[in-house]
Amino acid sequence: MEIPYTVSARPDTGLYNAKVGIWLFLASEVMLFGGLFSSYVFLRIGADFPWPFHELKVLPGFINTMVLIASSVTVVAAWASLKARRYGWYQINMLITIACSFAFMCIKGYEYYGKFTHYSVILEDGTVFDGHPAHASEEHQGDKIAFTEVKEITLAPGKSNLHFLRHRRVSEGAKPFGKVPEGQLVKVRLPSNGTEIELTEEWYKGLQKQYWDVRHARRDLNTLLARIEAPKTRADDLRKTGEGETPVPVDFRKVEAFLNEYEKLKVDSAEKVKELTAKVKALEGAAPDVVGDTLKLQVVGNPLVFLVGEKDLQTYNATGVTFRDDTVLTGKMTGDSIPFNIDAIDLRQVKKPENSLAWKYFPQLKEAYVKHREEKTAAYVQKHPSHAGNYTEVSDWQHEVLRIPLEEIMPEEQAHEYLHDEAHSVHIDRADKRFYSNFSPSRSPYYAIYFLMTGLHGLHVIGGAIVLGYFLVTGRKMYLNNPEHLANRVEVGGLFWHFVDLVWIFLFPVFYLM
Amino acid sequence: MEPSSDKSHGHDSHDDHPIDLAKTVRTYLKVGATLILFTGITWGVALIDFGSHAANYTIGLSIATFKVSLVGLIFMHLNHEKPLIYKFLLFTVIFAAAMMFLTVLAFLDPIKARFGA
Repeated sequence: MEIPYTVSARPDTGLYNAKVGIWLFLASEVMLFGGLFSSYVFLRIGADFPWPFHELKVLPGFINTMVLIASSVTVVAAWASLKARRYGWYQINMLITIACSFAFMCIKGYEYYGKFTHYSVILEDGTVFDGHPAHASEEHQGDKIAFTEVKEITLAPGKSNLHFLRHRRVSEGAKPFGKVPEGQLVKVRLPSNGTEIELTEEWYKGLQKQYWDVRHARRDLNTLLARIEAPKTRADDLRKTGEGETPVPVDFRKVEAFLNEYEKLKVDSAEKVKELTAKVKALEGAAPDVVGDTLKLQVVGNPLVFLVGEKDLQTYNATGVTFRDDTVLTGKMTGDSIPFNIDAIDLRQVKKPENSLAWKYFPQLKEAYVKHREEKTAAYVQKHPSHAGNYTEVSDWQHEVLRIPLEEIMPEEQAHEYLHDEAHSVHIDRADKRFYSNFSPSRSPYYAIYFLMTGLHGLHVIGGAIVLGYFLVTGRKMYLNNPEHLANRVEVGGLFWHFVDLVWIFLFPVFYLM
Repeated sequence: MEPSSDKSHGHDSHDDHPIDLAKTVRTYLKVGATLILFTGITWGVALIDFGSHAANYTIGLSIATFKVSLVGLIFMHLNHEKPLIYKFLLFTVIFAAAMMFLTVLAFLDPIKARFGA
């Protein structure tokens, strides 16, 4: 069946069908992005935290804007080339368009990478340190909590898995938290008979099977007993309604009937009860380690060492750690601080910046901060005399003065050392930490909507590039057969591409400049 | 490469006349250059304080709107489009404006206004 009006215009609309279709689609897209921009405004106006304006690097965004504008020119030139029946020019322009989309995504990827490797710690008093965790390699503690001398492992076979073993490390001289050599297993002693076994998935699966066999047998027995007891309970309840301060007349025939039913059930089920009780006992006897809900295993040989990320834990204290799956390790917590190198201090959410926790970790920087504050404030008041009395309430002053990139208060080389040199890293007490994250969507609503909108836009770029690439690769046959049809297809693809450019034209100032 | 046949000939109702490629592309290049120039201007004016955030945002978004208009009018051919497309766009604008208005409504809280926060 031939699709109508792919080339010629439909008489009533005056347009070929695909053009009507793309404009309807673009209308829905305008509303989609319109809704998101509206959400952005809502989040920004309603933010109960200092909105991180002027924190994205402008240059990558600027280059990406130019790249998209260039691609908009080439895609419309590709269409014009087809209209002029110049297929070679069409190919060149389309190729540049697709190259531009690739460049755009590469620059976007570079920006995203920067966000995911840049961290910030929000302290309990609101002080924010931006930077990155110090020595985050596997051999070092990083931002993880260290547990050593672990001699006892408590598993809850109904809930636990052996994932805690992923956090195991080995201590070897200079590397206190080295990687576990391939195939080196943990040996433990079973509580029931003192047998030594190796903690393997296979052994644990067998143990869990025994655990559930016992539970299922117990459940069957308990269900049967409850069923036998049920009429007796009802009889007792009925009898009780005739007692107390406001007695109700009791139907003793019913009570009698329930008691008779109970006696009958007891006799009829006696054999079954006996059988199930024997089954439970047999299973428990065969697997004494799973009689209780937890299983305490003693580590054989050297005590174990673990490095655990906070998000994998339920709780921890000086002598032990409980994982989210109820596995408990008993040992010694030897370190839970967060080693961190900084590139900026943000005091905008601190009530009294001069008493900030920042100075607990960087007392040497307080003097420079005070000087910086005085100088910046003087310059600000001179520039904005109308704010002389209330400058502390103005977000611009707060941004300029209370958010302190280190290179503003020290030479650039020294600031570089603070960010990269281990000697300048600080160990932040976990008790001082309120929030710790990279600059991913979880960091703040700003980054959530930044990633949502730029990510959705990026998906549009990828989708558009695929469609235009398809026209480029497969267009020759259609061009030879019906060039106007190909021109119309490219026009429709181009309209989508211009829309993608158009969205970016708004995204750039909104996210990067305002 | 020349197409062996051109089925569009005599069918296409609105863009059938041959196109002057060099002239058309020159126009597109000029528009592209203008867009890049105004991107630079957007960055430039963002460094200037116009007295209030509202003024800064208005100027920044006005330039963006101007750029978007150029893309729409020239690249997307909205300067000579069929009436149906403009009707679609009219509805789009109404719905998009309504969505923005919902955000405004969220901050025009009558209870808060009468009784305080």
